Amino acid sequence: MPKRTLILGLGNPILGDDGIGWRVVEMVQPFLTDAALEADCLAVGGLSLMERLTGYDRAVLVDAIKTGKQPAGSVSVFTLSDLPDLQAGHLSSAHDTSLQKALQVGRLSGAHLPEEIFIVTVEVRQVCDFSEQLSPELQTALPLAVRQVMEILRQGVDFPNS
Amino acid sequence: MQRISIDPITRLEGHGKIEIFLDEEGEVANTYFQIPELRGFERFCVGRPVEEMPLLTNRICGVCPEAHHMAAAKAADAVYHVDPPRPAKLLRELLYSAFFFADHTTHFYALAGPDFIVGPDAPVAERNILGVIHKVGLETGGKVIQARKFGHLVVEMIGGRKVHPCTSVPGGLTKGITEEQRQQIEQMGRWAIEFARFSLQAFNDIVLGNQAYVDLILGDLYTHQTYSIGLVNEKNQVNFYDGKVSVVAPDGERIGKYAPNEYMDWIAERVEPWTYLKFPYLKKIGWKGFVDGKDSGVYMATPLSRLNAADGMSTPLAQEEYERFYSTLGGKPVHQRLAIHWARLIELLYAAERWVELATDPEITSDHVRIVPSEKPTEGVGIVEAPRGTLTHHYWTDERGILTKVNLIVGTTNNYAAIQMSTRKAAQSLIHRGQVTEGLLNRIEMAFRAYDPCFGCATHTLPGQMPLEVTIRDARGEMIETIRQFC
Repeated sequence: MPKRTLILGLGNPILGDDGIGWRVVEMVQPFLTDAALEADCLAVGGLSLMERLTGYDRAVLVDAIKTGKQPAGSVSVFTLSDLPDLQAGHLSSAHDTSLQKALQVGRLSGAHLPEEIFIVTVEVRQVCDFSEQLSPELQTALPLAVRQVMEILRQGVDFPNS
Repeated sequence: MQRISIDPITRLEGHGKIEIFLDEEGEVANTYFQIPELRGFERFCVGRPVEEMPLLTNRICGVCPEAHHMAAAKAADAVYHVDPPRPAKLLRELLYSAFFFADHTTHFYALAGPDFIVGPDAPVAERNILGVIHKVGLETGGKVIQARKFGHLVVEMIGGRKVHPCTSVPGGLTKGITEEQRQQIEQMGRWAIEFARFSLQAFNDIVLGNQAYVDLILGDLYTHQTYSIGLVNEKNQVNFYDGKVSVVAPDGERIGKYAPNEYMDWIAERVEPWTYLKFPYLKKIGWKGFVDGKDSGVYMATPLSRLNAADGMSTPLAQEEYERFYSTLGGKPVHQRLAIHWARLIELLYAAERWVELATDPEITSDHVRIVPSEKPTEGVGIVEAPRGTLTHHYWTDERGILTKVNLIVGTTNNYAAIQMSTRKAAQSLIHRGQVTEGLLNRIEMAFRAYDPCFGCATHTLPGQMPLEVTIRDARGEMIETIRQFC
């Protein structure tokens, strides 16, 4: 039986490069012909994100990341366990908890939640200015991130950054 | 001078930062709570049709988009000089009550709970929602998830989609609800009342039953004598969706009430050189600095201030709790900031009761949910109570309804001055001779966590790491120690 998979763009679509996750997923969506694959975009983390993941076997999250350690537009892939269990970022809601803890809460409550969670990230610089436009670096990264998501869906994860 | 930095704040939205400056003796000289501001929202809005605002503003914030949706819808009503029909107002308030219920539930179990149920000095690794669930019982976790689910379902039924509703338009709503939906909503609301009572009972048993917590709440450490504001109905009872903003002095005297379009007569904003955010204060009282008292224009806009600014609650069970609250804490108004958590639970019960009240109104399934605007658009203000404080949207348009100017005063901004004061007072009381421990830092954070401040609001990127960082500098500004811990 195919794994029920959710591809989820995270971030704020009106905050410039912060909305990269949404843009990537919008471009991925037309290629999703398999009924087991669903796509959506979300601007919430923590418990709300966990609630959206309920019922799926696998999830691919696409998000902006700001490490300051790689050029803007760099595309990386992580599993959830690669990322520190912290109380901020799009995976978390600072008004409730981190995704990792939210998943534990959900599982304790009997929810069916994905065992496999991949996070495709795109390095960004500036995310404090309202805009619907991506910066040139992020525009360039868009097809690379789309290809990365499609690769994960086709053959499991390939870690270009490892 | 030594400098201690708590950066960023744990369990709070955005990349906030508290800087604590110590003097030669290692005592706290001053504190600064700084937050980054998202820029260019007004510029982003100008040139768009005003009816886009209920959809656009709910993207400002991933925490309370429903609040922005409602304030924007009410401001757009005002811009078009249209008063929505009663069924539309009932439905909007019903959606809003369910949203408040879900939001207050989350705050209590995920943010207040770690401090008051797990304990303020418990290890960091346990001070989270999982720690709370382990303490109060596994089935409570399921109830919290259920409470959020019910709240979101009502938002979806009336608002068209979860989290980011889209049905409020100038003059009302794009759709009503069916009788079948009404019955479901009523049923969920009745469950919500029982859950709110369970939560108040848990607070009563675990927090009020523990003398150490009672002392913490009632102590001077977290007390400030400021003005209180909050939306009230014609009977001066708390209302989240509509009414006038009541302003009550530190001694309990109501100095007035203002309608949304009068807010500029009451609220002014102070600029400080060390932060981009402005500090709103009461114009009629004036800015006297970050100080308590009747002569200082500093005010708070929180669940506690809403209770202080009102004469009571409009629903019976919440009214009983309101009376118990003030009789336990020694009368009105209450100034102990940690009582905000208790006040939030009373509002939780009110939200649930109001939910059922609205769901059983004979007009709630009416099809008459919109009056199509016919007046020329000009200017309008919309005010609702967001969970974190009074939310004001003010729009100006040209004769085509195209925005020419936008001004927002969001819930947390109201409390910015009060948060500064609370943070400084806690730091001054808890840090002596440069001695800082993790437990003390958490108690300083508790001073502003009660306000549940929300600044950047779900708009920040996934970080490489989000440490709680403490930097201690000597009198010459040289860094002598950095402590990091992950939360």
